[in-house]
Amino acid sequence: MSAPVIFDPMTLPSDDNVNAYTFCVELKGGEWFLQKGKMIAYYGRIEFNGIGHGRFERLLRTSFHSPLHASDWVVAQGSGKMLLADRAFDVNSYDLEDGNLTIRSGNLLAYQPTLALKQSIVPGFLTLIGTGKFVAASNGPVVFMEPPIRVDPQALVGWADCPSPCHHYDHGYMTGVLGGLRSLTGLGGTSGEEHQFEFVGAGTVLLQSTEMLMAEQATGAVPHEPGVPGGGAGVPGSGHAGQGAAPRLPGQLGDLQRRFGL
Amino acid sequence: MPFREINSKMVEAVVVPGQKMFSQRGAMLAYRGEVSFTPNMQGGQGGLMSMIGRRVANEATPLMTVEGNGTVLFGHGGHHIQVIGLAGDTLYVEADRLLAFDGTLQQGTMFMGSQGGVMGMVRGQVTGQGLFTTTLKGHGAVAVMAHGGVIEVPIGPGRDVHVDPQAYVAHHGDVRNKLSTALGWRDMVGRGSGEAFQLELSGSGAVYVQASEEKL
Repeated sequence: MSAPVIFDPMTLPSDDNVNAYTFCVELKGGEWFLQKGKMIAYYGRIEFNGIGHGRFERLLRTSFHSPLHASDWVVAQGSGKMLLADRAFDVNSYDLEDGNLTIRSGNLLAYQPTLALKQSIVPGFLTLIGTGKFVAASNGPVVFMEPPIRVDPQALVGWADCPSPCHHYDHGYMTGVLGGLRSLTGLGGTSGEEHQFEFVGAGTVLLQSTEMLMAEQATGAVPHEPGVPGGGAGVPGSGHAGQGAAPRLPGQLGDLQRRFGL
Repeated sequence: MPFREINSKMVEAVVVPGQKMFSQRGAMLAYRGEVSFTPNMQGGQGGLMSMIGRRVANEATPLMTVEGNGTVLFGHGGHHIQVIGLAGDTLYVEADRLLAFDGTLQQGTMFMGSQGGVMGMVRGQVTGQGLFTTTLKGHGAVAVMAHGGVIEVPIGPGRDVHVDPQAYVAHHGDVRNKLSTALGWRDMVGRGSGEAFQLELSGSGAVYVQASEEKL
């Protein structure tokens, strides 16, 4: 086991991975788009503004074309270094050169404004067009495959260079007497593999282990108390807030109990 | 060895005509070629009797038969995958940890009480295995899922291995296991070390331990 490495603003990598799960972006007066809540720390002077802020009118005109996801994204602006991470998923950066790549919207963490973000015609996916760098997360390392291939919808991260995506339904399980019985009654269950995305044509398909997420555990969540910022009942907009903090049950000793480690 | 590890969470399997493979339902990530996935009502091999046996033993996981000609990628739930090769010996594993295995392997169910009587049943309760566990026997490979990375700990004569029951994944070989307890008055007043129960494995073989105390 190697000793932990201590980073400071000078030794942090610039636009590169710190480790498999963290990516460091260096801002030099420029902007980056990032998905809400994916920044874990930063050095320097960086401002985070929601999209729809008046100052970014021009920026949005050139590189953000997704009203559906407008509320999920923020613009980071300033100079310094910021660290991005997502649920201990593997994080990687990819360079696009005058190309296009379509990615599951939940997997995209951040991108340079030199890229243009558009909604894919496949629901739940976003397309990046242009030249620049973007950061994406995946459950386990990303595996690159060449078409022709059929992919479980949950395992698909994205695809590049226009292989043609389409649905493939496996109706083999409906044939025969047993299959007919099964499709009529549902007895015997389904294999869960009747539906895939099929890719043909030239390009690359990106796969991950699965899209099924680990249960999110609220580590270091703010306690639900009046006067604590982010605490208190009802925090609309912050999706996961208050999931982990269990309500205090009657009969518990409260803070005393926690202090004694019971 | 039909399974090739692509990364820690994905394995690739080559399917050739005439050779069956079993896998957990919904564990297919992608495939090439002509491969068919058929839901398997019996939950594995054997006829009606072994199916009933598995149902009673609560070791019936939804399995599917994978047949055809091509390559298939398997992975499930973002769990880590360990490929275990069997050369004639028996693997003891919980059925819901099975990701995929060769059709050449013989699947069976074992009563925990048959190893150490009542204590075996207690052991099953503590490890979360229940009263029954699944056995796979023969020559072939098994892909087993675990939460967190897996390490293989060899067991030899005079080298007994103690495992946290919650971190136990599977074991194979000629292994006797028993539950050792280190209960003291501290555990009674709720100030125990949390390591009161341990699984003690002796004999010759190997045990697989996951780097997490979370069950699947």
